[in-house]
Formats: sequence, structure tokens, C-alpha cells
Amino acid sequence: MDRSVTGAGGPVRRAALALLLILLLAGCGGGAEEAPAHNEADAMFLQMSLAQIAEGQQVAAVAEERAANPELRAVAAELLGQWRTESDTMRSWLLSWQRPIEADPSAGVHAGHGDLHSLRDEDLAALRSARGADFDRTAVALLLGNLHNGVETMRMESADGAYPPAVKLAGEMTATRQGQIQRLLALASAS
Amino acid sequence: MRRRFTLPALTVAAVTGSFFVAVSPASAHGYISSPPSRQANCASGAVSGCGDIVYEPQSVEMPKGSKQCNGGGSRFTVLNDNSKSWPAASVGQNVTFSWVLTARHSTATWEYFIGDTLLASFNDGGAQPGATKSHTVNMKGFSGRQTVLARWNISDTVNAFYSCVDLNIGGGGTNPTPTPTATSSPTPRPTATTNPPTPTPTATNPGATTWAAGTAYKAGDRVTYNGRSYQCRQAHTALSGWEPPYVAALWTAL
Repeated sequence: MDRSVTGAGGPVRRAALALLLILLLAGCGGGAEEAPAHNEADAMFLQMSLAQIAEGQQVAAVAEERAANPELRAVAAELLGQWRTESDTMRSWLLSWQRPIEADPSAGVHAGHGDLHSLRDEDLAALRSARGADFDRTAVALLLGNLHNGVETMRMESADGAYPPAVKLAGEMTATRQGQIQRLLALASAS
Repeated sequence: MRRRFTLPALTVAAVTGSFFVAVSPASAHGYISSPPSRQANCASGAVSGCGDIVYEPQSVEMPKGSKQCNGGGSRFTVLNDNSKSWPAASVGQNVTFSWVLTARHSTATWEYFIGDTLLASFNDGGAQPGATKSHTVNMKGFSGRQTVLARWNISDTVNAFYSCVDLNIGGGGTNPTPTPTATSSPTPRPTATTNPPTPTPTATNPGATTWAAGTAYKAGDRVTYNGRSYQCRQAHTALSGWEPPYVAALWTAL
């Protein structure tokens, strides 16, 4: 126990000193020019959202084209438009931070639990082969599942993110998606 | 130049710990969307004042075996609140329940209850559900306002996902009183005796007769069923599915 505490003390102290040094340097260089800091939650929010949006786009693209209910087509079209704008912003931030667009698969975040990327090939196949009311029901269920997963990621960012524009985006996306979830739930309960 | 790279690296080190703690409880899964469950009515805005459940109707996850709408515990207790004006969907005797799934867990069973009566159980034998999941369940003669508790039992964890669905069975709309069936207490269903669509032939002397659906029993009445004797604990009109061995709230084995 003693040894591990002592062992941890060194790096922590060194990190604290390094941080102090950086703050001093930043102060000398006119810190106002520095972009606001981001943290790991910000990066994960963007990476996971991009993956979730990519999945949602596959469902929405089919739904926009084939849904019988015009309200479902409208929600799908609206999502596709908003996702394009949101994902452009997300990619630009990740690029500026020199972070990969996709999460590090070795990070283990999804191992055994996360499963937040839930769309499988067979789900899309099931959607494509569905007809009529069955198609609409399947599309609504898949879109709701996708949007709920996205909201979890946004709420994680709202709670833990550090980069103010990303935290703001997460809040706006949560509000927009909640509205679309409400419209989809109205469709689900009517079916 | 060096500064630019050092700062993010340090920030990463500083927040990584808290980040993973924050993410791991996020556990997306599933709930009933049609007829709308209580959490679906919260998420759709049909019912207000629900708290955080509006953001994650799919996350009512608790250990298996609870009869409460929130699965027990202190989270999402609003779902147990029968005084809230939960809309009841008008349905017939056969009801199709559709789920929204956000993670495809290996599944043991899907169970549907009204009070202590198991309406149906579907055994998936550990399979993962597909893109959609729905079950058609017979209401076993229940009528009027009832609350169905659905449990999605996961095969490789100790947990289940809970959804309560408020129904007006038979579509009569004449009995809007909320029933206490989905609360934690083992309270029996007093409304069953007053449901208008239920025929209620009065049994004046059920003494030690054979149990029969459609009979009105009073507390203390004795019946036999499958060779065993039971005593009525609470006045009710018997329905198919309420056979004495299955409804401990109504019958005590003698």
C-alpha cells in the first residue's frame, strides 16, 4: 500500500509541475489566443456521435424514401439535414484537435457493455425487406433506438464535457432529438 | 509548438478517470412503445413531471423479479405513482406489445403480468432479439382499467428491463379508476369486482364448491380446485386465469 502511494506521488507531482509551467507559459504568450481546452469526454462525444449518426443515416435514408406515413418521411428528412450539419462540425473539431474521427477500438469502452452502436446488418436487412405498415413500424423502432442512444451520448457530454462549443452543441442536439423522439413515439402509439 | 501538444495530453490524463466512471452506467436497452408504456408516455410528453426518465425510457433496468414499474429501488419511482394520470390505451382481449430496443441483449424470457397473474411468458433461450420485438398477449378475461407489467429478462446478467403499460381492456372506458396492481405491495385487485363488462352471477353459498370462473366470492368462502381446498382472502369475481393456485392475493391454500 505504502509503495503504491509513493509510486503514484512522483508522476502526480511531475504532472502538477508541468501543468504549472504550461499555465505560466500560456500566460506569457497571451492566453487569449488559445482555443478553449477540450477533454476526453468531448472527443468521445464527437467520435461516438459520428458513429451513431452514420447508423441513423442508413435508417433515415431508407425511411425518407419508403415510409408510407408522411410524418415519418418528414422526421427522417429533418434528421438527415441536421445530421449533415452536426457531423460536419464534429469532424472539423476532431481534425483541429488532431484526434481520429473514429474512437480507438482498443480503448475498450464498448467491450462487453457499451453496445451503443447497435445497428446490425440484419436490422437494416429486416427494414429493407419490410412492407407497408410493417416497414413504418420497423423504421420507427430503429430510429427511436438510434436516437435514444444518441441522447445518452449527448447527456454524457453535457455532464462531463469541457469544450464549451461542444457542450452547447450537445444541449441543442438533446432538445432537437427529444422533439423528434416525441413525434416518433406518437407514430408508434398510433400504429 | 511543444505547448500545443502537451496541454491536450495532460488534459486527457486528468479527465480519463472520471470519464470512464461517468460512461459505464450509461446502459441503453429497451421499453414498450406500443401501446405506450409509462416511460413512453413520459418521453412523448403525454405525461409531464416525470424527471430524468424522459431522456432514457430504455433504462429501467433492475435486478430480476420485481413487480414494480420501476423494477424496485429508488430510481424512476415516478413510474410507480398510480395517482399520476397515466393514459390508458383502449384494447381488446388480445394485445400486441411492441418494444423499442437500443441494445440487443441475449434474452432469457419476456414476461407479462397483471398483478400476480402471469399472462404470458416467451422463452427466447438466450437468443438476441432482432430489429423489432413484439408479442401478442391474451388478457385472460381481465377487463376495464388494468396495468400490465412487462419484464424483459436478460440471460447473461442478473437484470431485467421493466415497462408498465396502462390499458383499458374491452375498450368500454367505463372504469377509469387506477388499479394498485403495479405497486410493490401484494394488494389484490379490488377493481375486478366492479368491472361492468364482467358477468357476475352471484354464488350465494359457495361453501366447499368447486372453484369456477364467473363466480362472485366473498372473503372466507371455501372452494376446491384440482383436489385442493382454498379460502378466499378478498371478495372478487373469479376470472379465468385467477385460479386459486396462481393468485395468492385472493386465495389461501388450506
